[in-house]
Amino acid sequence: MWLVRPAQLDDLKQILTIAGTQGARLSSTLPKESDSLARKIELSVASFESSLPEDQAPRFLFVLENTDDGTIGGVAGIDARAGSGEPFYSYRKDALIHASHELGVSRRVEVLYPSHSLTDQTLLCSFVIRPELRGTEAFELLSRARILFIAEHRDLFTSRVVVEIQGVQSDDGSVPFWDSLGRHFFNMTFEDADRYSASLSKTFLAEMMPHNPIYVSLLSDAAREALGKPHDVTSGNYELLRREGFQEGCYLDIFDAGPVLEARTDSLHTLVTSHRKILHGRHDDDGENCLVAAGEGADFRCVLAGIEDTLENELKVPVKTWNLLGKSAGEAVRVAPL
Amino acid sequence: MLVIRPLQQEDLDDLYEMAQKAGKGLTTLPADRELLQRKIDMARESFRQRCAPEAALYLFAMEDVEAKKTVGISGIQARVGLDEVFYNYRLSVTVNASSELGVHVRTPTLHLSNDMTDVSEICSLLLSKDYQGGGNGLLLSRSRFMYLDEFRSHFSEKVFAEMRGVSDEEGNSPLWDALGSKFFDMEFSKADVLSGLGNKAFIAELMPKYPIYLPMLPSSARAVIGRVHDNTAPALKMLQAEGFNFNGLVDIFDGGPVVEAFIPSIRTVRDSANRHVMVTRKPVELDVPADEKVMVSNRSFRDFRVTTVPATCVGPDTVKLPPEVAEALQVESGDSVRVTSLKDRGSRSLSGTRGARQGRRLGA
Repeated sequence: MWLVRPAQLDDLKQILTIAGTQGARLSSTLPKESDSLARKIELSVASFESSLPEDQAPRFLFVLENTDDGTIGGVAGIDARAGSGEPFYSYRKDALIHASHELGVSRRVEVLYPSHSLTDQTLLCSFVIRPELRGTEAFELLSRARILFIAEHRDLFTSRVVVEIQGVQSDDGSVPFWDSLGRHFFNMTFEDADRYSASLSKTFLAEMMPHNPIYVSLLSDAAREALGKPHDVTSGNYELLRREGFQEGCYLDIFDAGPVLEARTDSLHTLVTSHRKILHGRHDDDGENCLVAAGEGADFRCVLAGIEDTLENELKVPVKTWNLLGKSAGEAVRVAPL
Repeated sequence: MLVIRPLQQEDLDDLYEMAQKAGKGLTTLPADRELLQRKIDMARESFRQRCAPEAALYLFAMEDVEAKKTVGISGIQARVGLDEVFYNYRLSVTVNASSELGVHVRTPTLHLSNDMTDVSEICSLLLSKDYQGGGNGLLLSRSRFMYLDEFRSHFSEKVFAEMRGVSDEEGNSPLWDALGSKFFDMEFSKADVLSGLGNKAFIAELMPKYPIYLPMLPSSARAVIGRVHDNTAPALKMLQAEGFNFNGLVDIFDGGPVVEAFIPSIRTVRDSANRHVMVTRKPVELDVPADEKVMVSNRSFRDFRVTTVPATCVGPDTVKLPPEVAEALQVESGDSVRVTSLKDRGSRSLSGTRGARQGRRLGA
């Protein structure tokens, strides 16, 4: 069975393997180096245990575990506050009208403004899953378990949730948007910049990024086409997030111009359609397959299970999953339909 | 004999013909009778001091006295950027550096600027093809420095000139194609003409206001920033010889450089000195090589006139002028005139002699 639970230091090796199979773009939220990944996991453990100093923003990292053999199938994260105390950079795509009354000309000019506006918004991040699991129920479990966690710990999160979607990258690894803009200022490859943005403080972004707005019309054709376009590899995730209620706004990733999706936390589909129920037992495994989550903080668990609803606010869940959830009859769980 | 004098109503026909022959590229003097008439009117008002000094446009004609023909024009705009906004790009550098990464990146950047506001501009230079050579172009251009020198209170401390930038035979400008056209939706030649016609408001309304990072432009466009059109190279050289230097500003359309100089340090100004006229009956051979000529001005604000005589006419206190030259300059024996060599003559320059220096001091 698939189980979503907080990441532990023991998972380090397996997470590294998964991170290594992914394209470059993820490294900014999921480091590929053992040391920085270990630090990230430690921070996550402390976040789940609520043992962080008060001024430090929690950053949660979940893993998708196959309980039959203990293998990890994927990782997903939530940063309670984007930037985690440092500025969070995006481009805001906006338009100006350049008009001349004298000439009777009016022209829409698109401009990218460097923005910190998304700083401190709750951010879904670090989503990576084994390729063979894409599009499966496990995929959905991993992604949506986070929303159930948010539902159970609503106070920790802001009223808006954002997600950065990986932008266009060619097969040869080149990133058109980076080549047309960032490369000139950072004087380094996309991979290096992405890696640095994970391992170094964000100060280097402030130092190297162009401070003035960028006219879209001066970007290369390929870069203009890539604005706000998700990478093909993200299509499953992208669709899932759209169904969750996320929408494209005006924000773009500063490295590859991938779209930033936004949603009101309280309108998230999983959050709205989920309910707290009292756990009861059943022995059959059939019935409606649902997401079932339970537990606070470090005890948080989420599984897929065939359930049976009763009218009395009770939820009949196969007994074999109780163990995974760490709950027994009479305790509260949260359930959401697939 | 060629004489520089204020532009007059009678010059209109010759002027129009000259502008027609010049074709595209000379935006300050389009072949448009109405506009030329307006310029003549403005020049007249300026020389008669009937307009505000800062609004003045002093236009000079070069007349072939014997042929009674206007063969050249040059001008000084007392101040730019007062009525309408005067735009340039300032070519500057943005440095991004990170000590953490050990990177240091310099990015040449164009900033839209109005830095030339309130500065005097030399402009509108055009010499008929038949008269080019023999130092005529120098006379047409440098006589203006004598005017600037005589009437400094009417001008700013420094003076600048916009040099024509690079464009091909069809009139396409690489910078315009890479930058301006993305915002104007217009061909370079048309935009340039509109701007020359004084239709400059549209620039303000359609121009990109934020800085332009040069690495985002194609190399063909980057290469022409601060460079002059081949046809303008001699004019640039001439101004550089007078002490003009690139001041970091370029034209917002074609990237041509702006050169400037402080009036007291212009070579023509530094080398000039006052002399008294002595009209001589002895015949003088006026047709000498350019580097043996000196310019003589009558020092009149309202009816400023300049012509050239051989350097041999200049004595320690006086300058000998044949009657026809004196008449052309509207001076008589005893009048004070100002003289300066047409070309930089190094050690032989006028003020290089002791007498000339004294003369200048006495006259000033």
